[in-house]
Amino acid sequence: MDIPILKIEDFLIISFQNELSDHDLEELRENVLEHIKKTNAKGLVIDITALGIVDSFMARTLSSISDMAALLGTKTVIVGIQPAVALTLVELGLRIKWKLLTALNLEKGINLLRKSIESEKEIAHD
Amino acid sequence: MIGNEKLLEELTGLLEDNADQLKNQWVKEMTEMKLLEKLTPVEIEQQSSAIYDTCVLTIKNGNYDAAKKYAREMAKKGVLEAMTVDQIIMGMLKLRDVYGRFIFSKYQQEVTKLYKVLDIYEPIANRILNIVALAFVQERERVINEQQLAMLELSTPVLQIRDQILVVPLIGTIDSARAAQIVEQLLNSIVDTQASIVIIDITGVPVIDTAVANHLIKTIQASKMLGADTIITGISPANAQTLVSLGVDLSMMTTKGTLRSGMKLADEMLRIEIVEKV
Amino acid sequence: MTEDSIEVKNEYDIISARGFGRGIASRLGFGVVDQCRITTAISELARNAVVHGKGGTVTIKTIQNEKKGIEIICKDDGPGIEDIELALKGGYSTVGGLGIGLSGTRRLMDEFHITSGPGKGTTVTIRKWLN
Repeated sequence: MDIPILKIEDFLIISFQNELSDHDLEELRENVLEHIKKTNAKGLVIDITALGIVDSFMARTLSSISDMAALLGTKTVIVGIQPAVALTLVELGLRIKWKLLTALNLEKGINLLRKSIESEKEIAHD
Repeated sequence: MIGNEKLLEELTGLLEDNADQLKNQWVKEMTEMKLLEKLTPVEIEQQSSAIYDTCVLTIKNGNYDAAKKYAREMAKKGVLEAMTVDQIIMGMLKLRDVYGRFIFSKYQQEVTKLYKVLDIYEPIANRILNIVALAFVQERERVINEQQLAMLELSTPVLQIRDQILVVPLIGTIDSARAAQIVEQLLNSIVDTQASIVIIDITGVPVIDTAVANHLIKTIQASKMLGADTIITGISPANAQTLVSLGVDLSMMTTKGTLRSGMKLADEMLRIEIVEKV
Repeated sequence: MTEDSIEVKNEYDIISARGFGRGIASRLGFGVVDQCRITTAISELARNAVVHGKGGTVTIKTIQNEKKGIEIICKDDGPGIEDIELALKGGYSTVGGLGIGLSGTRRLMDEFHITSGPGKGTTVTIRKWLN
């Protein structure tokens, strides 16, 4: 399955529409990193609103995408985690990294990314 | 030999004909036992007549539906008016005694007949008492269940005090069931109100142990997954000491002493966002 | 009581097993959060069977006695787990590392039983009750 990676301004957006296989996720990881390099995107939004379940493997893969993107200088925000999914992940024993950006929906996520990138610019200017 | 039906007819006829005398006797004995202190004379008259008539009717036609219905109503009223189960049951036992003694006095000359009448009367009387007692137990259980449900719902309001800020005042003991209910309610509220900051005030939680701390950490984590930051307020000095000596890792908790200072911090966090947008 | 089995040999079967489990949990009347817990638990167990056990079967039973619930049995004929205690110890470490699958599954469910040993394969039975 090909998961489309959209580009808006400086941001890349991935929006999952279906259940993902492990293979899809690993393929996606490679594609995203290539896209980041090609487009020089400042931010990456991963929208998982449509996912009714996220298990530990999927969570690990998403987290590693965000870590690798960070190495390439791109900030990641995960948006649309459903309440039931959040609760299940916490009970499963997953602890979210404090620096990982999260938001309720796509719009809030993009705003958060902008803000976070702006504030870093300011620090650089000072 | 008279058949049972005939005997039953004779018995109910006697109970009906002597209703006033027996009822007065019953009320008198209950008054002596101080069972009726909370009732007015009018209420006593109405209730005793109704109970007396219902009992006679039940003995007469062998149908317990009226008795059940009346007992349920009485249980509802009795519980609400703080009339104790003890008082009602004692009253019903008294009525049984009154009937019993009346039957003895009527048939004492004819022992065989007396036994026959008692054979008819006793099972019915016992069944009526059983119905009354059961009605009270069921009513109590219903009230307790209702209250428990109400308590669970009431136990943790999630308040939106202004745009983007939710306040959760925790009061009382936090067990796993309550913690699960709270976090679920909070997550749904975050989605509904689009909140970005949650303040959990634990001033009203008497003891914070490792279990409660873990519930808090889980709540903070789950809220963060939905994009909301959490501020914990109202940790008492005693609780702070316990948490540290238990070795609970609080590094990922933002804490403030009071709800007031927590709200101030929340405002500052939001103001930074607003200024940045301009 | 109904019982159904599904074979899990590859990662696509994991998705099927999840969908299968969610359907049954939903029909039994489990709420959204419990459905998510059950589906996630199935996913963790099925993945363990595929990755470590070289495939296996997932059996889902509905329990309809005085207590209603769902029972899931995940069985593989893989090499088995040498130290079950250790495998269940996996705690709250941040992403990465193994172990969170089994220990996490136990936390999601009401009951958790495991039998395993070197060369004997692994069978995990989990249950969740409707309250």
